[in-house]
Amino acid sequence: MKQWHKIGKGLVMGSANGEALVSLRAFTFAHGVDPSTGVVTDVRSDVRGMDVKGKILFYPFGKGFTTASSWFLEMVRLENNPAGVVTEAVDLSAVIGSVMARVVYGKEIPVISGVPRADYSGLKSGDRILLDAGRGEVRAEG
Amino acid sequence: MHLDSVQEKMLRGELGEAKQFAMEIVSKVGDAVGADELVPVKSAHVLAHYSSLRDAGVEVLERFASSGGRFAVPTSVDPASIDLQNWKSFGIPENYARQQLRLCDAYARLGGMRCWTCVQYQVCNLPKEGDVVAWAESSAVVFSNSVLGSRSNKITAGMDIACAILGLTPKFGMLLDENRQARITFRLDSRGFTDLDYRSIGYFIGRNTGGLVPSIAGLPSSVTSDQIKHLGAAAAAAGPVTMIHFPGITPGSKTAEDAPGGERVEEIEITRSALSDIESDLNQFSELPDLVAFGVPHLSVSELGELAKLLDGRKLKKGIRMYAYTSSQAYDMAERTGISETIERTGARISQSTDAEISPLKALGFETVLTNSAKLAEIVSSEGEIKVGYASQNEIIEKVTS
Repeated sequence: MKQWHKIGKGLVMGSANGEALVSLRAFTFAHGVDPSTGVVTDVRSDVRGMDVKGKILFYPFGKGFTTASSWFLEMVRLENNPAGVVTEAVDLSAVIGSVMARVVYGKEIPVISGVPRADYSGLKSGDRILLDAGRGEVRAEG
Repeated sequence: MHLDSVQEKMLRGELGEAKQFAMEIVSKVGDAVGADELVPVKSAHVLAHYSSLRDAGVEVLERFASSGGRFAVPTSVDPASIDLQNWKSFGIPENYARQQLRLCDAYARLGGMRCWTCVQYQVCNLPKEGDVVAWAESSAVVFSNSVLGSRSNKITAGMDIACAILGLTPKFGMLLDENRQARITFRLDSRGFTDLDYRSIGYFIGRNTGGLVPSIAGLPSSVTSDQIKHLGAAAAAAGPVTMIHFPGITPGSKTAEDAPGGERVEEIEITRSALSDIESDLNQFSELPDLVAFGVPHLSVSELGELAKLLDGRKLKKGIRMYAYTSSQAYDMAERTGISETIERTGARISQSTDAEISPLKALGFETVLTNSAKLAEIVSSEGEIKVGYASQNEIIEKVTS
């Protein structure tokens, strides 16, 4: 995909780049990603078996378990975390997980919301993505 | 986000290290979600179980405790990953228990109520309408917003402890009137719901509501608060649900028309066939299970009483375990009233202060689990290590007892 570009709302600041991992379904870090490998285990996920490590992870919204930020933080501790997260609706567990990652481990994992599923559904897992949360910018480079 | 002078002092570390750590987290989250200010909370509910928090969570909780942290408001805690009274007899490995006990110790040093339950509102933490609370536990947050009328966002792990230490939470999301109106209605087109139907209804709503606050029309007036508890838990397990309007129950929503504030909103029917689809989606096997689990979320004493009635005079088939999960408080009451004896006579056990979805089922050797909890079914299949069966309490008991 060439020159795809969207502006969302930067929630947790920072910039990142990596390959896209694109989910069109509700996503959960809690019980859904193995922190010791970064691999998605959820049988209802369309990215099951894929690795979130180092990726720019796209999903529309979280399933919303309040444990999710601790699964996220353990993933960060074990260095299997995504490089950045882009969602349609604010997923509080990704926001809090990312803030905890900054405060506890000094790691920057930008989080951007407000990018509708319909807008990013044309992306393919593996596309190169640049994030700049300060500008809310999500850019794909062909 | 604006901080007042005391909050600024906290952030600069002038009021101690624990408050500084907490304020760093809370102010950054407040900025991220676009809150203007922090507001006081009446109570907190936090997570301290090892299966989710793991070593990173032990690090965080111990850091709060060892830097002089102390909860500023009444604080309750979700279940542990082990039965704190009887973990040895449930076969929990020693090294696993040790990590959980570290979390218990740190939590106790912070001064929380040691209730270890996900139904704190049935045990020790019951806010009134209009109270602002900072609660973790998605099912309890839904119950708070939808039934009690107390207001909470889903305060996830780490942030929960920070809010409890400050007695403050960012003002955003479900704390604001404009975000609490229903934006979609789910209408039930049938009657005569079983325990399983209530969970499947919740699960359907969670899966189909997207980011919108739902209301539900057509619920029978006979619905119990326990049934609503399980419906809400299933909804929050399947999707991003923090509140459901139950007309006639939810404060401010007397009728189905009140829920969306008089506005016309999209309506989705929940048909019998939709509920069957949910059942077959959540049900992965039909053989006899290794484990039957009731009580995600925790059963109340009256639910334990119901279970005892159903089990009375029956025997659990060989090779099957049946655990009913509850709070220590309900456990004690069940002991005193003979409920425990009836349940245990069948070969089943009541497990207190822990819950199935956060205990190390795989390490305990279970390959299959059968439950009437959509939340447990969702979680077990998400982890993908154990097969899960989903059926009503009656069907399960018929199947696994003689």
